[in-house]
Amino acid sequence: MLRDVLGKTLFDQRRSLLGWSLALVLLVAMYVAIWPSVRDQPSMSDFLDQMPEAFRSLFAATGADMSTGAGYLQVELLSFMGPIIVLIYAVGSGSSAVAGEEERRTMDTLLANPVSRTRVVLHKAAAMALGTALLGAVLAAALVLEGRLADMGLPTGNVVAAMLHLTLLGVVFGSLALAVSAATGSVALSRAVPVVVAVVAYLVNGLAPMVDWLRPLQKGSPFFQYAGHDPLHHGLDAASLAVAVATTVVLVAAAVWGFRRRDVHG
Amino acid sequence: MDRASLRLTGLSKRFGETQALSDVSLEVRPGEVFGYLGPNGAGKTTTIRLVMGMLRPTAGRAEVGGLDCWRDPVATHRLVGYVPGDAATYPRLTGRQHVDYFANLRHAGAGRRAAVAEQQARAGTLAERLDLDLHRRAGTLSRGNRQKLALVLALMTPRPMLVLDEPSTGLDPLVQQEFHALLREHTAQGGTVLLSSHVLGEVQRVADRIGVLRQGRLMAVEELKVLAAHSLHRVRATFLDDVRPADFEQVPGVRDVRVDGRVLTCNAPQHALDALLKRVAQHGVDDFECAEADLEETFLAFYAGDFEGSSRAA
Repeated sequence: MLRDVLGKTLFDQRRSLLGWSLALVLLVAMYVAIWPSVRDQPSMSDFLDQMPEAFRSLFAATGADMSTGAGYLQVELLSFMGPIIVLIYAVGSGSSAVAGEEERRTMDTLLANPVSRTRVVLHKAAAMALGTALLGAVLAAALVLEGRLADMGLPTGNVVAAMLHLTLLGVVFGSLALAVSAATGSVALSRAVPVVVAVVAYLVNGLAPMVDWLRPLQKGSPFFQYAGHDPLHHGLDAASLAVAVATTVVLVAAAVWGFRRRDVHG
Repeated sequence: MDRASLRLTGLSKRFGETQALSDVSLEVRPGEVFGYLGPNGAGKTTTIRLVMGMLRPTAGRAEVGGLDCWRDPVATHRLVGYVPGDAATYPRLTGRQHVDYFANLRHAGAGRRAAVAEQQARAGTLAERLDLDLHRRAGTLSRGNRQKLALVLALMTPRPMLVLDEPSTGLDPLVQQEFHALLREHTAQGGTVLLSSHVLGEVQRVADRIGVLRQGRLMAVEELKVLAAHSLHRVRATFLDDVRPADFEQVPGVRDVRVDGRVLTCNAPQHALDALLKRVAQHGVDDFECAEADLEETFLAFYAGDFEGSSRAA
């Protein structure tokens, strides 16, 4: 594992990734366990229909339908809790990537080796992306396997597609954290900026259907790339994938550029 | 240009409003141990981090083996072993894991396995000489042991140049001796050392030349012998009878003479000690102490221009 910066970074996270994975498996188990009682309560769907439109739009995504397993998960897990968990991990990993080593003062020791700053940033970005992908994979596996136990009727392909989109959502914000981390060397700033941007992007995506002037902005929101096409029902969306990947590439390039030109804090 | 040489040319660094380093020019020759001295905050660490390519010079340049330290960091790092000022390590990794990680980072591509094994063996020998347990996690090590780990990591890969920022902080005297022996082995093979310290005593034992830094300016570069003669000693003598200040004030080089009844305190550079001792011995002595003064005090005297025959660099 300790052969390069990527391996070392994942090695450092091995326990925390295990913890996150366990938490996700348990979380899915909880939602799955509640599912039969929700299914047998048609009034849940009525309740959803009676919610104010803004509320429904923000928290339940459009076309929410609590009477099917997929609809239920869409409302309960994928529109809020899932993204939050993946974002917390990805932003934490991205922000500690460069600034974390600087604040713990290990960056001098690391960079004194014949390893370029570009390589350090790229390896850290890869570690963040792989960690996020692992969480996405664990979520997908948990949903498919645990959902089968409760007869939720989840289409495996679409679950995988939704989790791939969710992973990319995390990677985009993780890359933003990494870019701020690399450009400023501040852990606090590199956590705060992505959180603020994520809240704004979430609101833009959720409220755009009702607010005219937000509508043109909606397609720019990473949350729109993630769930605008309802992946649990419609699978992958090539355009959304392309936008998310392109955003990530631009942000990682910015991270490299930002770190190469400044003083390392020591 | 020799791979083991270091050259600073008009090197300057400004942090916002603070001028941390001003126009420092300096050459460290192959096979030499250069002691970089100055009080805390004088700019020693700034200089060293410029040499390591961690900081971007505001003006001037630093070169190792003819390579620019900021523009060509990866190539210069192949020539340099580095111990940073606070010897930060990864708390959850053991010493052995640090060795594996850095050995791998230093050798990509073909021959990596053999090179890594070689460094692991050398790290083992070094750890033994410095009395360090590589199986423990760095987070559980004392300050001194973390410092030893940083030394092992810097020395396990053969490099023509060593850059050491306050390397013996926290090391006990026996280990310091071993460390100095390692430095001598390094220079015997033509290697160069840049070593910073705020303790003159340490530099005295190993350095060939020293540079004195203050407030970001290189005040003087001296052969060690010259500065050693300037190093102030604080003398305190208790006599059996009352003495007068005038008895000691005439000794050339002696300063700050104070007499309080039977107790004399004064400061004297090394070259004045002989005359001072003879003068003291003319009286009955109850107690006598002589300790090397803080480098700070030697500096102050030095800057005040009290010493003759010192070549000023700036």
